[in-house]
Amino acid sequence: MFPGIDGFHWTIGHVVFLSLFFAVVATIFATVVSAAWRTARDFRTNQAVELCWKSSFAELPESDRRCRHELAGRVISRTCDNAFDCRRCSKYSQFAVLPARAPVHSLGLNYSGDRFYHRGHTWVKPAEDGTFTVGLDELADRLVGNPDSIEMPEVGTELEVNQTAWCMKKNGNEIQVRAPIDGAVIGVGGSKQGWYLKIRPRLSSSDPLTLRHLLRGPEVQGWLTREMERLQLQLRSPNTPPALADGGVLMPGLMDALPEADWDTVLADTFLGA
Amino acid sequence: MASAVFSDSRWIARGEERTSLSRFLFWLAPWAIVLVVGIYAAGLCLYYGLNQTNMDNRFAFGLWIFLDLGIIALGAGAFFTGFLVYILKRSELRPILNTAVVVGFICYSGAVAILMIDVGQPLRAWFTFWHPNTHSMLTEVTFCISCYLLVLCLEYVPILLRSRQLRKLPSLLVFEHQLHKLVPVLAGVGTLLSFFHQGSLGGLYGVLRGRPFAFRTGFFIWPSTFFLFILSAIASGPSFLMLVAATVEKVTGRRFVPQELFRRLGFISGVLLALYVAGKSIDTLIWLNFTSPSEGFAPWQYYSHKPFGTPILFAEIVLFGLLPAFLLTYRRSAARRGWLLSAAALACAGVLLNRFVLTVQTLAVPTLAFDEFLQYTPSWQEVASFAGVIAYGVIVYSLSYRYLPLFAPSRGENTHVSGD
Repeated sequence: MFPGIDGFHWTIGHVVFLSLFFAVVATIFATVVSAAWRTARDFRTNQAVELCWKSSFAELPESDRRCRHELAGRVISRTCDNAFDCRRCSKYSQFAVLPARAPVHSLGLNYSGDRFYHRGHTWVKPAEDGTFTVGLDELADRLVGNPDSIEMPEVGTELEVNQTAWCMKKNGNEIQVRAPIDGAVIGVGGSKQGWYLKIRPRLSSSDPLTLRHLLRGPEVQGWLTREMERLQLQLRSPNTPPALADGGVLMPGLMDALPEADWDTVLADTFLGA
Repeated sequence: MASAVFSDSRWIARGEERTSLSRFLFWLAPWAIVLVVGIYAAGLCLYYGLNQTNMDNRFAFGLWIFLDLGIIALGAGAFFTGFLVYILKRSELRPILNTAVVVGFICYSGAVAILMIDVGQPLRAWFTFWHPNTHSMLTEVTFCISCYLLVLCLEYVPILLRSRQLRKLPSLLVFEHQLHKLVPVLAGVGTLLSFFHQGSLGGLYGVLRGRPFAFRTGFFIWPSTFFLFILSAIASGPSFLMLVAATVEKVTGRRFVPQELFRRLGFISGVLLALYVAGKSIDTLIWLNFTSPSEGFAPWQYYSHKPFGTPILFAEIVLFGLLPAFLLTYRRSAARRGWLLSAAALACAGVLLNRFVLTVQTLAVPTLAFDEFLQYTPSWQEVASFAGVIAYGVIVYSLSYRYLPLFAPSRGENTHVSGD
């Protein structure tokens, strides 16, 4: 066929056929190269974190994608289609002014009113010097207990919201905890200190966009109630039908107490894992 | 016990329920045995040559080519669904898209594998690319099928990368996202390639002047079988997808595909099948009255050899064509799942019968005065290779169903993020 083969002569058939064939091959090849190039660009421009988070968000069941205003009882039903990023939500201000009507229950967990909560079960507490302290909330703390090992970011690391902030290992399960805010790590603690990170926010601490995406006040109650319901369903014994809650309090060190549970799924759902 | 010691629950999509690993392995075991026997038989053919088969110079196309033509036609659901979803924006077909890609991948990879054996000298397979006969329909088929298998692999990759453990790797997740965004390009290329290779597979029979049973006139360089093959493939593809989805639902005892989607697929299949039956009927009338007599053959002599009597022609056009076309499109029958799936099965059987007739009857009926009616029975090696491809398909589909999001979205509404 090609030059160099004995007896080969170009014909119009060769030209048309080979042009078409190589155009198709080139298109396929260009598609793969383009996808690889775009992937590299996303990592270079820090778009990868957001893409990964959005992909994980899209995998969440609808029951886990409830809008904060529904959790607070400001609206009857609303599904978030904004990856929990209220900073970019056009409806945020419209609903935020409505009165919260969610009933308040005692869940036996300490969720302080001076903190802001990320749905990946971290809290953020503002300090007077404009920095923020970040820790695991009580539900996550009771679930994990004492982790077997922790891998913290180095001081100076720039974190994007929803990026993996630190990793823990417990009973062979890897837990990736998502960063609740954008900013630079200026201090590293651990489970014994009661906090994990100190962060200097990218925007000013007084900027309303810094913390807007985090839950607070009555939203936390609504969110926690649903999280507890999910946990009850996931941790019930196999072949046991769902039952009404008996008013008990979440015990500490659940991962040690129920080693046979499907922790890979429970942890992924709790910490909004991939 | 296997599931107690080894658990694959970490690989099963979150929120999805699957049977225990031991039961799954028990299901796979017989198919694996068939596959191993098939690989052994294929190995014999590759090592000792095609004398392991019952084909010869006269009966050069046998069970394998029938299998190739059949599964390539049934696998047309992959390109056609992709075309409908990505090019015509029929997003209601999305729930069946992943399964269409996997079915297409299985069909085409199985077909290429069997072709590699059928060529007889696989070490010279590259000759077809280096020394192509640009006047041959088969060259077009070879090029298009090779490229389309590559396209199907690339369409399969995003599904593979969304498995529970692979999606934990950010680089793969982002690549999957970017590749998925470019899938419409692949869908367009796949449509072009499929159009030509489905057509050329039919065309290569239609240009056989020496085989007047298959020879047809047509349009420009393309005989009528070129267009009939395309039509019958895109008509049976959606029906085959319905059958696959319904079988999975039956085996697993769960519902994945809304009844409305079944009806939609059935309607698409039915309308295309009706067009095919119309085209096939006109083509048959032209062939009976003009093409065959002009070649010096009384057409009814082709049907004087048992078992290839006129009932086969009747079955092909009416029983497996007109009847399922009616059942798939008529509102009352399409509303009943049993009727719908029975009609889909008839449509698939029809396309298989058509490929069988064009492959086997074409070669069996005598052409020259001294020819005799030939009978061909495949050797066990041919049958085992054939069964091996079927087992390969079942195994790949079973693994894909167990570990990949074939019937997504089942958890979230949108499994792909929008925006760049």
